[in-house]
Amino acid sequence: MSNPHWQSAAAQKRIAKRNAAERRFKAIGLGAIVLSLAFLALLLVIMLKNGLGGLDWSFLTGSDSTDADIAGVWGATKGSLLTMFVTLVLAFPLGVLAAIYLEEFAPRNRWIDLVEVSINNLAAVPSIIFGLLGLAVFVNTAHLPRSSPVVGGLTLALMTMPVIVISGRNAIKAVPPSIREAAYGIGASKVQTTFHHVLPLALPGILTGTIIGMARALGETAPLLMIGMRAFVATPPGGITDPSSVLPMQIFLWSDEIDKGFVQNTSAAIIVLLLFLLAMNGLAIYLRNKFEVRW
Amino acid sequence: MILTGILLAVLGLGLIGWFVGRGRARLLYHGRGSMHSMPPYHGWHVALWIVVPALLVWAAWSAIQPGLVEGALMADPVAAALPADTMHRSAILAEAHVLASDPGASVFDTEAQELAVPLRALQVRFGVIGALLVAIVAFAGGAYALTRVKARFEARTQVERAVMGVLLFASLVAILTTFGIVASLVFEAGVFFRQVSPIAFLTGTHWSPGNAIGTDIDGNFGAVPLFWGTIYIGAIIAMLVAIPLGLMSAIYLTQYASRSLRKWLKPILEILAGIPTVVYGYFAALTVAPLVRNFAATLGMENPSTESALAAGLVMGVMIIPFVSSMADDALAAVPRSMSDGSLALGATRSETIKKVLLPAALPGIVAGVMLAISRAIGETMIVVMAAGAAARLSANPFASMTTVTFQIVQMLTGDQEFNSPKTLSAFALGLILFLVTLVLNIIALRVVKRFREAYE
Repeated sequence: MSNPHWQSAAAQKRIAKRNAAERRFKAIGLGAIVLSLAFLALLLVIMLKNGLGGLDWSFLTGSDSTDADIAGVWGATKGSLLTMFVTLVLAFPLGVLAAIYLEEFAPRNRWIDLVEVSINNLAAVPSIIFGLLGLAVFVNTAHLPRSSPVVGGLTLALMTMPVIVISGRNAIKAVPPSIREAAYGIGASKVQTTFHHVLPLALPGILTGTIIGMARALGETAPLLMIGMRAFVATPPGGITDPSSVLPMQIFLWSDEIDKGFVQNTSAAIIVLLLFLLAMNGLAIYLRNKFEVRW
Repeated sequence: MILTGILLAVLGLGLIGWFVGRGRARLLYHGRGSMHSMPPYHGWHVALWIVVPALLVWAAWSAIQPGLVEGALMADPVAAALPADTMHRSAILAEAHVLASDPGASVFDTEAQELAVPLRALQVRFGVIGALLVAIVAFAGGAYALTRVKARFEARTQVERAVMGVLLFASLVAILTTFGIVASLVFEAGVFFRQVSPIAFLTGTHWSPGNAIGTDIDGNFGAVPLFWGTIYIGAIIAMLVAIPLGLMSAIYLTQYASRSLRKWLKPILEILAGIPTVVYGYFAALTVAPLVRNFAATLGMENPSTESALAAGLVMGVMIIPFVSSMADDALAAVPRSMSDGSLALGATRSETIKKVLLPAALPGIVAGVMLAISRAIGETMIVVMAAGAAARLSANPFASMTTVTFQIVQMLTGDQEFNSPKTLSAFALGLILFLVTLVLNIIALRVVKRFREAYE
């Protein structure tokens, strides 16, 4: 502060103004986050307030009903579990194998570029489009049973696969080349190197990505609406070809009911769904922290 | 039933083949270098030769068996007595199929009961033929592979070639899916555009497919109000919420927040992106829509509707916040540190640096992020289905009920109508447009992001 010019009242005022602008800007930034989080908190509080009273054993073990008091979520939960099972069985192996191929073996040519472009685009296609695909191909062309977990699972598998491929590729890319070179050095073939060394090291990352993709599929409603999983199903489905509903669909159906009792049911079903998602994401974070290796 | 049994039997045979192949190869093994491939590879080689050809035959047979059964059934005297009317006839046949698989089922037609007996016999007969075929192929494949178990046989090379085939197939599924989407949308939309002129569809301003009968069909399929509703809710209202909030959160998190605060805030903000859209939709309908309605009433509007573009757009904007925030985060992080350091060294405050140096430098990345966010918002379905309403109108009033492309797709496909009516098919035409628009937005955005990253590397 040796320059006397800075001590003048005008300069002091200007600096104070600039500092005030700085503080204001910082406050706006914090405000944006607080506002977003307040919205989240409001959403959760309202759902808890409306729904907690409805969460009891009969709600968790019952199936859909026209009477709000005896309606429960077990039927829809079982439908969700069966659908997720089909999705996982299809999307996980296909996604992992595709990721391995693209990252370790694929030659650089136009075909492989096409595969990469379509995977990146599929990850961003609106989910309802997958529903249209499922309706046109699985229901109308292949004549698989409408509203069944097998069709829902197939549709969601197509949607989840790109997510698994992308996260799988990142996980495989993170395995350092020295691991591969060590395996080649003692005479392993490329396939042996990949399956015995690279894949096990990349697996935690792949699993994390898979769980996140599955969590997204679990909360998905729009594509299942397209393939008709909105039927009123009063008994839990017995297998993957029985008509069934899924948790988000149950929420959607109940939200349309006029009877006041269903407001509580809808919120309670939302709590159940959010708990599932929380558990899955928690598992993903746990896996990441426990097994992730920083090379 | 028989077909499922065959599938399991083939897999079981494959397992046995694996052990037999490995066992035979082990007999040949006399220390290091005595064989080209280790015994387990011989096991895999045998198992593949059993399972792959058998499964191919199995798949082919399960595709043609229903046709063969049907053909043989028609030759039966009972079937000859069936009514000629196709509707009635197929109903009876369907019931016969139910009876054949579950004898306890109760059915309507007595003809079905009579048909079920020969039908069941035929199904068993063709099932047995199929099983025999599959068994022959499996054993032939296994025997051939077993004769090749020799010390110098390159079983590993063969097995690895098969593995490569499987890997290639898995990565082609993505292309097949894209192709399937395009083919099914184009095909169904093509049927639609044969009945409704594309020009009327893309430029018409009146949408009421319910009234579309006879000659006036073109006039009722004008999709412009839907496009407007989609843009108004997804690209205008939602972005007015998401861009400022998302961008400012990203700036605060990357520029101001301490490391530990960032570690906590970022995952919590990401929760917003993980909440299922149906939950947002319910929240919009239950809580936000009444608030918006009351607000409209205090502004002096008469009879504001409970469903409004504003309620849907607001909630959608909140949903997109973490997405915009993380895209902006990446864009800001890609700007070289030396640029902001230079600005700070000249005496600019942090906020001046951000506004005058960082944001302009990160702008292409942020714009690309916003484009991706818009493509997400216009494809969003559940929020608009639950909160935006069904009225197709061209209006700039945010309190009015408005409809979107995704809402109409749901609306057209969830009723009980003929699949081939123009009303149902219009959903595929709308889907095609939605797909093309999001595709173009994504391709441009991804390209911009790539360019932008390269510029600073």
